[in-house]
Amino acid sequence: MQQSSTGTPPMDSGYYAACAGFAAQAQALDLVAHNLANLGTAGFRGQQPTFRSLMAGGGWVSSNPLNAAVNDFSVIGGSRLDYSSGALTGTGSPLDLAIAGSGFFAVQTPDGVAYTRNGSFHLTPTGQLMTPDGNAVLGEQGPINLPNGSVAVSSDGTVSVDGAVAAKLMLTEFAPNVNLSPTGNALYAAPDGTALAAATSSVRQGMLEGSNVSAVESVVQLIRLQRNAEMMQRALSLFDSTLNTTATQDLPHV
Amino acid sequence: MIRALYTAASGMMAQETNLDNVANNLANSSTAGFRRRRVQFEDLVYQNLIMPGAAASQQTTVVAGLQVGLGTRTAASEVIQLQGDFSQTGNPLDLTIQGQGFFQVLLPDGETAYTRDGSFHLDGQGNLVTQDGNPVQPSITIPAGATSVTVASDGTVSVTQAGQTAAQQVGSLQLALFNNPGGLNSTGSNLFLATTASGDPVVGTPGGSEGLGSIVQGMLEQSNVSVVDEFVQMIVAQRSYEANSRVVSAADQMLQDINTLGR
Repeated sequence: MQQSSTGTPPMDSGYYAACAGFAAQAQALDLVAHNLANLGTAGFRGQQPTFRSLMAGGGWVSSNPLNAAVNDFSVIGGSRLDYSSGALTGTGSPLDLAIAGSGFFAVQTPDGVAYTRNGSFHLTPTGQLMTPDGNAVLGEQGPINLPNGSVAVSSDGTVSVDGAVAAKLMLTEFAPNVNLSPTGNALYAAPDGTALAAATSSVRQGMLEGSNVSAVESVVQLIRLQRNAEMMQRALSLFDSTLNTTATQDLPHV
Repeated sequence: MIRALYTAASGMMAQETNLDNVANNLANSSTAGFRRRRVQFEDLVYQNLIMPGAAASQQTTVVAGLQVGLGTRTAASEVIQLQGDFSQTGNPLDLTIQGQGFFQVLLPDGETAYTRDGSFHLDGQGNLVTQDGNPVQPSITIPAGATSVTVASDGTVSVTQAGQTAAQQVGSLQLALFNNPGGLNSTGSNLFLATTASGDPVVGTPGGSEGLGSIVQGMLEQSNVSVVDEFVQMIVAQRSYEANSRVVSAADQMLQDINTLGR
């Protein structure tokens, strides 16, 4: 890492550390709010904030330990998708599919192939398998068209109608180091060439996966964020009153 | 932080819709042939505050990025086409479909509607009509003086006239089947209308190979609402609403903290 020995080190003031801390908690609140708003979204994957200290990436050389301590701001570094599974609930509908395991259904969107865990599928009038927002569900041979009849989906994703095999769902898994990015509508985009054929996932017919957001955990997180923000606010008030005292009482006597 | 306020509000609105739907399902838990609906939610768009793969320093890149979602929306309320329970009534004009088909009903405006409610009646001319008086299609007329009406599983309607022993065929019911019954338009009075989403119906003789189902006489199909499931859904909706309102108060409190700074 390049050391910036010529640059001016940041000002010695905890005021900015508390300010940055407050802003980070506020941004984290946005993430938790989004998670809680999607408690009812089928196949939704929650996001967790990750905090990092600013100094660690900044390359500043601190003049003394105190300087390092007060200038090591906590900022929000990113959001991480939680890949744990949501609860499966039985619905009885033959076109409601859930995945046991870490796999995803592949969906053709106008912007390319996206991946989803929301298996609440429908048939179009022409018999094509669709997601609720009208994107085609992909099979191993492209979009899936089904004839009339009773649909059965086996655990490996083979779709049969009245006992005759009609298609096989494209189930994909991702290596643990691949980061999916959410695009809304419970769809997730993956970097090109990272989708692998599912090895351990299986399909459950007549079930839907709920959101993987835990209401209890999120509310606890919410309380923690709120209290952390309050602490920062207290710190800011203290700095403010100290500055005030210095400016109004001490400085005139110099 | 203002984002969090609106995000939580979107969650609260979604759960309100959820509760509205539960209320309608529960209110119709004893409506014959009623099909419950299920509300589906979707997450809204994301704001990319830090792009994944952006430079974190000169040598490293951000691995996950910071994408903040903006809440949820109610995407659809899908008609759940699961069969309801059958109850025996003994009434010869109570018909049930054992399968996925629908009865066809002619509306006063000439449009054809579809229903699972098979509690039929006769009007003054002996026509087979629904509870609201709309004639069943194809029309069936029971002649005056008929002593018994029999509906076979393939939809053939036959009557026995007074003083005769041989049954006489007076017509035959046909059923309609949709590729996507979840896309039907509910119009109330237990009726559905076809939409471009549901597609045009396949009309055929009951008991055939299309999966229309066969007709059972003297039985009625009840609502497919499961009261237990709806109660569970109601609790989920209420608790989610609470959790979202908790976010609103947390965001409010944090804004208040900011406002009290420097006082």
